[in-house]
Amino acid sequence: MVYHNYEHWKTTPNTGEPFLSIVIPAYNEEIRIIPTIGAIASHVSDLGFPWELIIADDGSKDSTVKITQELGFVNMRVLIAEKNGGKGSAVRRGMLAARGKYVLFADADNSTPIEEVTKLIAKLDTEGFDVAVGSRAAEGASEGKKSLMRHILSGGLRTIVRYGLRIKVRDTQCGFKMYTREAARKLHTAQTIDGFSFDLEVLYLAFKLGYKVAEVPVSWIDAPGSKVNARKEVQRFVKDIFRILSNDLKGVYTQRLAADAHSDSVHVPA
Amino acid sequence: MDMNVSMVNGTNVITLNGRFDAFEAPPLIKWFEDNVTKEQADVVVDLGGVNFLDSAALASLVKGMKRCRERGGDLVICNLQQAVRIIFELTGLHKAFVIAETREAALSA
Repeated sequence: MVYHNYEHWKTTPNTGEPFLSIVIPAYNEEIRIIPTIGAIASHVSDLGFPWELIIADDGSKDSTVKITQELGFVNMRVLIAEKNGGKGSAVRRGMLAARGKYVLFADADNSTPIEEVTKLIAKLDTEGFDVAVGSRAAEGASEGKKSLMRHILSGGLRTIVRYGLRIKVRDTQCGFKMYTREAARKLHTAQTIDGFSFDLEVLYLAFKLGYKVAEVPVSWIDAPGSKVNARKEVQRFVKDIFRILSNDLKGVYTQRLAADAHSDSVHVPA
Repeated sequence: MDMNVSMVNGTNVITLNGRFDAFEAPPLIKWFEDNVTKEQADVVVDLGGVNFLDSAALASLVKGMKRCRERGGDLVICNLQQAVRIIFELTGLHKAFVIAETREAALSA
């Protein structure tokens, strides 16, 4: 670890395309986000490539925007939302604003340690995958301190997803996923779901569009302060599965992708 | 996270390893409450094995520091990995703590 690399990153603007963009969706994260930014900045600055950090605020009512802006890192942008639109909307804005060759989104609580990023980079940059999904269910993954409710929730959802949407990924919900920028742009442009199950939709689309998707085992810690209301989210999740299938039947995704293909600018749904 | 306490030259040295977060903070706070007295008010916390700490962990260290100072001693932290050092800087807490490069330096601080 070389402290100078971190200092250089925070004070010297990137020139040209960054190798990696990291997007952190943030809603009322004033307590948790600064340590996560510190861990990410320390680790990724040492990896030897240009990178940028994007904080995609989701209409936070606390001081998330203020404290992140005050850091003053030249290679970090804070995208401000006027109102709370859901995690999916924050991730979408961040992914569509990213300039990197590869784009990672990572949760604000560092529940998947940033040290796992190199596994995902290898899948895209060396093995030619378009999407690398951090997974708590793949062989070799480890889950620390996972609550009983989280076990029940994730097991049930995996079964529903496997048979309902035929997504060939066992863990769709881990907040640690990397895309090529082209894949990120297409998938998040087509995305219609702004809530918790947005990444289910994005993965459904990834398989539909024929992207090469890798499931990568990562370690994961059930970080305190999770904002997931399990019962409510399961209900919404099941509802969203039908919404995805319905959207596809109605041609919603085809229309969105066609509109984007004919547009010079990135369309970010409200 | 692992937490070990040893006595070195009359000073309590707490060695922490792994991820230090809200799950791990309560036992550390309890240790400070139970063990920091006017007669034993100096503590060294060796964070050499800690690769990440969250705000709850930072708060537990602040509580420990206050308890030590209120009893006439101090809490010195040492051996910070780069990520942990940066987290202290970004939160401004590097100004509040006495931070030593090594355990030996901490013990003589």
